[in-house]
Amino acid sequence: MNRYFFYNFACVSFMNLMLFVPYVLIQHRYDGTVMSLVIAPVVGTVLLYMYTSAMSRFPGMGMPDIFRERYPRWFSSMIIGGFAIMWWLSSVFVIVAYAILINRFFNPDANTFVILFMLLLACGYAATRSSLTVMFVLEILLLLNAPFILFILVKMLTDTQFNWDAVHVAANYVVNMPNLSALAAATYIFTGYISMSLYNRLMPPNFQYKYRYIYPVFGFAVLLATFFIPIGLHGTEAVGQYVYIWSVTADSLIMQYGFIERLLFLFLIVFLNLTLVFTMTAWHQAMEFVKSCLPGGKPEVDNHRIPVSNYVIIAVFIVFTLAYMFLVNEKENVRYASYWLILRLFVEILLVVWIFVLSRRRMDRT
Amino acid sequence: MLLKHISLMFAQSYDLELHTLRNSSMTIEVAYIHPLCDEHKISDFIFVPFTKEEQPYSDQLQRIPEYKLVTDVSKWQDQLLRGHVLIEADGDVYAFDAKRIISNESPKTQVESAIQGPQIALSEDLKNSINLIRSFYPTPDLSIEEHHIGNMSQTPVSLLFDQRHVDMRVLNQVKEKLIGMKTDMVHAAGELGKLLVDKKKNLFPTILITERPDRIARSIAQGKIVILLKGSMFALIMPVTFFEFMHAVEDNYEAFWMTRFIIFIRYAALVLTITLPALYISVVSYNPELFRVQLAFSIAASRAAVPYPSFVEVFIMLFMIETLIEASIRLPRYIGSTATTVGGLILGQAAQQAGLVSSIMIIVTSVVAISNFVIPISSLSFSMRFLKYPLILLSIFFGISGVAVGVFLYIVYLAHLRSFGKPYFRVNGQLNPIEGDIGQVRKI
Repeated sequence: MNRYFFYNFACVSFMNLMLFVPYVLIQHRYDGTVMSLVIAPVVGTVLLYMYTSAMSRFPGMGMPDIFRERYPRWFSSMIIGGFAIMWWLSSVFVIVAYAILINRFFNPDANTFVILFMLLLACGYAATRSSLTVMFVLEILLLLNAPFILFILVKMLTDTQFNWDAVHVAANYVVNMPNLSALAAATYIFTGYISMSLYNRLMPPNFQYKYRYIYPVFGFAVLLATFFIPIGLHGTEAVGQYVYIWSVTADSLIMQYGFIERLLFLFLIVFLNLTLVFTMTAWHQAMEFVKSCLPGGKPEVDNHRIPVSNYVIIAVFIVFTLAYMFLVNEKENVRYASYWLILRLFVEILLVVWIFVLSRRRMDRT
Repeated sequence: MLLKHISLMFAQSYDLELHTLRNSSMTIEVAYIHPLCDEHKISDFIFVPFTKEEQPYSDQLQRIPEYKLVTDVSKWQDQLLRGHVLIEADGDVYAFDAKRIISNESPKTQVESAIQGPQIALSEDLKNSINLIRSFYPTPDLSIEEHHIGNMSQTPVSLLFDQRHVDMRVLNQVKEKLIGMKTDMVHAAGELGKLLVDKKKNLFPTILITERPDRIARSIAQGKIVILLKGSMFALIMPVTFFEFMHAVEDNYEAFWMTRFIIFIRYAALVLTITLPALYISVVSYNPELFRVQLAFSIAASRAAVPYPSFVEVFIMLFMIETLIEASIRLPRYIGSTATTVGGLILGQAAQQAGLVSSIMIIVTSVVAISNFVIPISSLSFSMRFLKYPLILLSIFFGISGVAVGVFLYIVYLAHLRSFGKPYFRVNGQLNPIEGDIGQVRKI
């Protein structure tokens, strides 16, 4: 069932575009991004290997189950609640950014709140389903969108206007020391393995993580594309002027023979799907984390009757997301997202090392 | 004794035959309902041997297994109503099955036709259907169980499965449902199917209804359970996945690449029939810049004469096409073609010339209708007809992004469905049986 692990990884790594990762990287293109691009795969791979080998010692258990087994209830609830907030926040940045994007490119007259509310209801409905359903949806939508993603990438790379010289120029800044925010942004692409915190519950007992060498390669390719394609199409200077850099990059291309002429629309639809899927999985994980703090029976992975607690938790998420949208303007959203990326790096290292140590201890005990 | 009881049990009706027969050695009382029984059988097995007296009749009653001793008085009514003859001799009551069943004799497939494939369909008589299935699936592992459903109708139902391949959990679930079913009457396969499904308000069929014995045999071999219903030409297959509804039996009979291509076309048609009206609204009313300029202009030009927003146009045309489909299903075959000609050709053309709808909309409507007919199983094609309306609503308010979100919701809903505990809509990838499937976690 390694493919489900790959889907989680791929979904998160594609989602970097919505989390302003390219924006952060490009802002620092002269002072450290390229070096970060080199270091990030190393950091990401080490964490991935640590986490997957740790999780494979806990078959059928998620991160909350592991904490609850070891620590007193109040302590584990606190920790898990903190992680739930981190997970929830990641999707908030994404979905708010996408609501703004719809408002900007599709329906300029519409109210962003209404659009966001619709997106939230859809994601909320999807997130309340069982873990197994969430995995099925993730797989189906990624497979459906994969050909379009490939098409967009090929279209961009083979474009006659693509300026490889600009890419060379940008790449030459590799000697500069990496800086933290660029590194945090770049490692985000490798962070998909962290979804196993919940979905390890779904893995059958004999499951083994295989083909782990694919993930660094795949992540590195996504990372290079994220950073260099906009530079190749806009040039080293102009690229720094956009926030939604990838939408603008997609809009600089046309499909000469298709009856949809602008690549932008294809790009937006594909990323709408990915955004919905990402928010669904992130919220589902956050919801299950919160649920594991509440008193209750064993977590079920395929309950056909949806418990009421799911709806309540997701409703709270929706309300808070709308409040976030109300309180935070677009500019602040970008800034908070980049802070969140840095915070995420440390929280992630903490979580991985923690679980890793616990897994070693478990091995000693048995 | 018997006759007195029965005349008290039944409302007065002339088709109830009550006779007392006498021969040299004994007296018997015979009761049956005339139209339900085969007269020849009754006279050959009861009246003639009784009067000829070549063998003592009481011996025959005890030796021939077709005479069944009935000890429970409360079963008399049931037996009579199911075409049995009740015979009382020497204080014992025997039932003799003489029922006459009216059904189509080996009917041809009509709903799910295949050009080159078996042309014979299931029969309305259970025995004939089981005969067909047994001959399509001649293995000793085929197990057949009988149940009766409906407090009043007591419809006989047969449960067929291959005991080697069947999933016991699914089987137990189905049996529980069948035994615990509370209903008065069941007459059609679809009705039974609805009762078998947990959720009462469902959007997609989770039980496949078919009339083809080849499909049934194939499903049984895959470990599925088939339910046959007396008086219905259709069988129920469970558990099923969404993809089986999109699969025609002919896909197994024709060349590989062609069938792959046709399956692809079916899915493309499915997407078109669901999304096209909604996309029309969102392109015309929200994002005309989506299409290249020439196409956008020609759409706008064809709408020049239309005085109201695009969704009104869509509702007019979809209303027309839905009524047309409905009419051509219900009408007798000879008038049906008239309806389609009048509706499709004359009304469509006239509506466009009168400026009620645009000519693009007429194309959209016909694509929607034709694509819908491509779906091989009619129960799915019915539910797909409904699916476009929620998307139209979303597109009225949100444009293209609304349609994309709607499609996402449909996929989530489909993936959420389970058919008797089995996933209904998922990608069936390679499965390492040692490793196990996702979600098959051990029970602690």
